[in-house]
Amino acid sequence: MEDSLAWRIKEAKKKRLLEVWEAFKSNRVALVALSIIVFVIIVTLIGPHITPYDPYDFDLRKARQPPSREHILGADELGRDILSRLLVGARYTVGISVVSIAIGASLGTLLGLISGYKGGFSDSLIQRVNDVLLAFPTILLAIALVAFKGPGVSSLILAIAVSFMPVYVRLVRASVLQVVVEDYIAAVKLLGLGSWRIMLRHVLPNVMSPVIVQATYHMGLAILVASALGFLGLGVPPPTPEWGSMIGTGKVYLFSAPHIVVFPGLFISITIIAFNILGDGLRDALDPRARALLRRF
Amino acid sequence: MSLVNYVIYRLSQAFITFLGASLLIFLFVRLLPGDPARLIAGPEALEEDIQMIRAQLGLDRPLYEQFATYMVSLLKGDLGTSIKYSTPVLDEILARLPYTLVLAFTAEALAVAAAVPLGILAALKPRSLVSQLVSVLAVVGASLPVFWTGLMLIFIFSVELKLLPSSGSGSPKHLILPSVTLAFFLIGNLARITRAAVMESLASNHVVTARAKGLSLGKILTRHVLRNSLIPILTVASVQLGALLGGAVVTETVFAWPGIGSLLIDSLFFRDYPLAQGVIMFTVGAFILINIVTDILYALVDPRVREVLWKTV
Amino acid sequence: MSEILRVEDLRVYYHLPQGVVKAVDGVSFSLNRGEILGVAGESGSGKSTLALALAGLLRPPAVIESGRIIFNGLDLTRLGEGEWRRLRGRKISMVFQDPSTYLNPVYTSGFQVAEVYEAHRGGRISRYMDLVKDLYRKVKMADPERRVHSYPHQMSGGMKQRVLISMAIAEKPDLIIADEPTSALDVTIQAEIIELLREIRAETGSSIIFITHDLALLLEIADRIMIMYAGKIVELGRSSEIREKPLHPYTRGLLSVLKPERKQKLASIPGSIPSLIDPPKGCRFHPRCPMAMPECSRIEPKTIKVNGRIVSCLLYEG
Repeated sequence: MEDSLAWRIKEAKKKRLLEVWEAFKSNRVALVALSIIVFVIIVTLIGPHITPYDPYDFDLRKARQPPSREHILGADELGRDILSRLLVGARYTVGISVVSIAIGASLGTLLGLISGYKGGFSDSLIQRVNDVLLAFPTILLAIALVAFKGPGVSSLILAIAVSFMPVYVRLVRASVLQVVVEDYIAAVKLLGLGSWRIMLRHVLPNVMSPVIVQATYHMGLAILVASALGFLGLGVPPPTPEWGSMIGTGKVYLFSAPHIVVFPGLFISITIIAFNILGDGLRDALDPRARALLRRF
Repeated sequence: MSLVNYVIYRLSQAFITFLGASLLIFLFVRLLPGDPARLIAGPEALEEDIQMIRAQLGLDRPLYEQFATYMVSLLKGDLGTSIKYSTPVLDEILARLPYTLVLAFTAEALAVAAAVPLGILAALKPRSLVSQLVSVLAVVGASLPVFWTGLMLIFIFSVELKLLPSSGSGSPKHLILPSVTLAFFLIGNLARITRAAVMESLASNHVVTARAKGLSLGKILTRHVLRNSLIPILTVASVQLGALLGGAVVTETVFAWPGIGSLLIDSLFFRDYPLAQGVIMFTVGAFILINIVTDILYALVDPRVREVLWKTV
Repeated sequence: MSEILRVEDLRVYYHLPQGVVKAVDGVSFSLNRGEILGVAGESGSGKSTLALALAGLLRPPAVIESGRIIFNGLDLTRLGEGEWRRLRGRKISMVFQDPSTYLNPVYTSGFQVAEVYEAHRGGRISRYMDLVKDLYRKVKMADPERRVHSYPHQMSGGMKQRVLISMAIAEKPDLIIADEPTSALDVTIQAEIIELLREIRAETGSSIIFITHDLALLLEIADRIMIMYAGKIVELGRSSEIREKPLHPYTRGLLSVLKPERKQKLASIPGSIPSLIDPPKGCRFHPRCPMAMPECSRIEPKTIKVNGRIVSCLLYEG
């Protein structure tokens, strides 16, 4: 019986996914944002193979050269090609953010599931710790973690993942509490399934949409935090071309060579804008109430 | 249940959270891979120096003993002594705090002054240009990194137009660029929330009653629409303010604004970790307090919340 | 008896992206001073839209397309918002269906009632609190001294409806429009509210338009009853006549639902209100009518008078 139930749920989900995609497709701006993100992800994956120059190759004769035919986005303070550095830098700025949010969201979701479904001692323990984490402003928590763990890719990932995790714990716990009172969960409970199986197979899928929307917004926010840490000199150490640290090291040349700061900033901004618009689009597509509201105006 | 009891209840709750946060920061420093003494001493330090710093900070003693001393002095209001300045950490923070407060409140005031009227206009005319502007601002404002918009503003107003100073804190003029930078980051979100809240109030049935009474449009708007939209607006504004008090780190650094945010960054670069730890504890405390103030404001604005909150005591 | 309100061929349409909804489509009737007119119909019959139109509370996309509403010799369809503002709450007032959502949660009930006086007489709210307490006594609110300081969430549904009624009668208006004022309340409170409205009519001489889907209720309290279906009046007559000898098949259907013991053909009326964007040709009720004739789907029935009553049905034409 569980299988037929699972099959029915699967069919319903397929139908709903299709509906969501239909709703999403009608939102042109969100489609543009999605294509920008796909493009950025591709760059993140293959960036180092498509650079016109070696991103680490410096040439002081070309230092601070404005955009030209050879270097379309100009050269930085050490004469390195800015476009090449940006293409490789996506790996750090975007890559780190995506991985961190994936980790933070998964961990937070798991903890939220346990907290909401199991209740009791594990619930109160998780909630108390989570309250403490929520008492930190996000960027401050990230700064604290990075600072005390020392610089590097892995500490950045840890810092961002932990800073964003508490939101998921709270979000998923609240959704689980709504879901568990519904009839079909009572039905699968009666079948005598183990609680882990119920949690992962029957509760989790029903709390995923808010998590997905939240994670999309958080991608943008994580890029903001990662690049801010880079800007402050707390991120990946130089000469790694992380976008934020490119701005951080280039800012002293703002007076003579503003392009060193302008282009990385544009890359960061456009990527974040795209993630935020995608988040809005997903939210509207997933939430039929919001959709109906939008149609009214 | 009275307001006083509620405040006492919330403060005691906050105190527990604060203790948890202290423990967490304590553990960050001691348990994360990476030796604080080595971090403080720097990569070229000799082993004896590291040992000395360790002894100086009490890092050679057992963990529980360290935590006990740390908590006892923390509760006495002693946040330790700065390595760089050799002064009490608390003095250093209090000297920098006014700058952060001025910047945070100016930025939030600017944001509210611009966003709330924008949001209201957008709600009254949902298809107008203003409404579209709010939608664009909401996405763009919160997407541009403050360190970049800050630098762009410096480029325009200091480098090109030579109108405003690029950094420092000597005059009220110095306040303009950093607060505008922060306000720009906040406006979009606040305006969007205002628009949504006002639209919801406008559509609610009690506004129909107000019209049926023959109330004037002005009274309907101020009494029955705006007043009922206050809660979401207050929530966002105070969350923003709380984040500003701790998170204006980046903006303060860009503009060399001598608040506690740039103090934190300085302390991290000088490996002055008692100072860094103190600043973080202090900001977390401020953040928790702001949250309590927000809840109390809720209670003052909405009688239903008042009852629910006080019942939980 | 003198006439206070005359509605002539009123049409109210909602202009939606999906099409034009003809919520009120050519309605004419009149109301005498001190009279209680009951308006009955299923949801979607246009009765609530009619109420909002009479109180000048329509908002886009609802628009008065044509027709006149003559109130005390004044054509209300030509009023500007400023003139409406002076009229509403003072000469025409309204009692709404769901008292919980029609009160503002952040103000005390007394403040919200006093606002009516403030709007029409000026001055400070606090000046009117004694008047509000008098009103509360009049509507039989328990403990008026305390209740003026209560917030809506601290009051029961019946109390909240008494607050709304206090607002409606504060300025002794000529016309009170009550839109389903009792359907959100339980039965005993319902009876009290009905009794209260009757007393108010006796005391102030206000006319009342009482709108509900509950025909049984109207048979009790209304002087005359108007039955609406899909934006049109299908029948209008004195309550006793409607009860004893309903003319329109729809009215008969509604009545038979009330009296199952009579075992009529219609235990309930099958089907539901048609789309008002694209209503059926001919008589709008014909798809559900047990007595439909072939021509009902082609010819739209005219409104005709039968012995001083109004009915709109081909059975009574020719």
